[in-house]
Amino acid sequence: MITSAALCPWPPLLVRELTGADPVLPELRAACAEAVTTLLRDDPEVVAVVGPGTATVSWPGDGRLNIAAFGAGTTAARTAERPVLPPAPRTAERPGLPPAPGIGAYLLDQAGYHGERLIWSVSADEPVAGCRKLGAELAGGSTRTALLTIGDGSARRGPRAPGHFDERAGAFDAEVERALRASDLTTLLDLDPALARELMATGRPAWQVLAGALEGMAGLAVEVQYAGDPFGVAYLVATLRPSIFRGSATRE
Amino acid sequence: MTTGTAQQVLRLGRHAFIPDRRLVMGIVNRTPDSFYDRGATWDTGAAMARVHAVVAEGADILDIGGVAAAPGTPVDVAEEIRRSVPFVAAVRAAYPDLVISVDTWRHEVGREACRAGADLLNDTWGGQDQRLAEVAAEFGAGLICAHAGDQAPRTRPFRVAYDDVMADVLDRTLAQAARATAAGVEPDRILIDPAHDFGKNTWQSLEVTRRLGEMVATGWPVLVSLSNKDFIGETLNAPPDRRLTGTLATTAICAWLGARVFRVHQVRETREVLAMVSAIQGEQPPARTVRGLA
Repeated sequence: MITSAALCPWPPLLVRELTGADPVLPELRAACAEAVTTLLRDDPEVVAVVGPGTATVSWPGDGRLNIAAFGAGTTAARTAERPVLPPAPRTAERPGLPPAPGIGAYLLDQAGYHGERLIWSVSADEPVAGCRKLGAELAGGSTRTALLTIGDGSARRGPRAPGHFDERAGAFDAEVERALRASDLTTLLDLDPALARELMATGRPAWQVLAGALEGMAGLAVEVQYAGDPFGVAYLVATLRPSIFRGSATRE
Repeated sequence: MTTGTAQQVLRLGRHAFIPDRRLVMGIVNRTPDSFYDRGATWDTGAAMARVHAVVAEGADILDIGGVAAAPGTPVDVAEEIRRSVPFVAAVRAAYPDLVISVDTWRHEVGREACRAGADLLNDTWGGQDQRLAEVAAEFGAGLICAHAGDQAPRTRPFRVAYDDVMADVLDRTLAQAARATAAGVEPDRILIDPAHDFGKNTWQSLEVTRRLGEMVATGWPVLVSLSNKDFIGETLNAPPDRRLTGTLATTAICAWLGARVFRVHQVRETREVLAMVSAIQGEQPPARTVRGLA
């Protein structure tokens, strides 16, 4: 059973060490931290992290983000004698994760979560049915599971965007945000994988896992902590909590 | 610096350059939309004026490009040829001995450019079109084997990650150099280029700079293209028109580590930096020394 769910994007710049002297987007980092804190509020027995990757497979629960793959870890290591940068967390002893679920694991670390984790990558080519089925499986059984889904909207939202400009990107992302705010899972399940791929919207498979996990739950309470595209990629941070658990949250 | 295979003579056009000779490649864009000059040499007259200027400032090589690296209006083969090839012919007519490079990933463009007199093909997008090497071989031209990761031409890096960025640079550039040699390009006309910013975030471009000695140690001559790029802009928080200092600092480091060719917008300033590095390394004497000697 799902206790609550959260959506976070996975720009590597969420890792503070990767942005140099400037924090770059502290508000996005704060929004993700708030979403993960909310996600953990109902004392889940396990947190399932689901993010896009090259294949639909599960990963070791103690896996971590390989920060060095983006550069800062190696810099910190090389300058260890006279560090000019805050040292990157030492993660070499733990198995490396693909970047998207890796960011999910990183956000859980940042929130101080030490409990059990299930980690999945979902292929960008995973059909809707497969995403939905994985979501239903994660939600099945009696284990109190919090679901952290990782993904972004289009990376083609303007001339300076990673994927330049695609005129369809704005409508696509607006529809996702609207559907999320309305907990309209049908619309999320209707997102076209081919269009999402063309728009470099990496969140599609994870969002459809989310929709599959939450199907049949009435009265979802949705909070959007962040929605914006400061670098031409649509970032969306949100939490969804089934209303049945809202009582326990209120008591805190 | 780094031990490895010794650098050899580099042959470009009719010239043979010894390893101690550092070469400056002046950029001449035949584009309306390149990031730094923003179409300043789109007009043919302005482009030829720029050629005269960079030659006067000491450029050894010209690099003529017809397609901006950034995403933008598509430029097909015919349009790229129209932009760059007649200009190559005009420069060749004006400067029979100057080394002319053409910045293209397409073999069709490379072939027409070589017919018009180009000496070197600058494959900045890293072997997207394997037939480019065949064209270089056919015309006895040189080839620059660059690293762009998995990126398609005219795309920006999007969260690109490497277990070891320099290992990937070496794997790909050396594989391209080997393929070029097998295709018949003369080995002493092949260069390798880490291609700063291409398929790399700023951290990764800084790391390939720091570890450039590993490329030099392969024995292949190393070209670096640093000029006013985003990794410098992000490091210094500087817009394109305020990146010269960072460019020159990076140029000095790369020269010290053994790079031999420097692709630049500012030829005169680069020549001065390279002259200082060569003097410090003891490869070239200072221009005039009287201090304490009179």
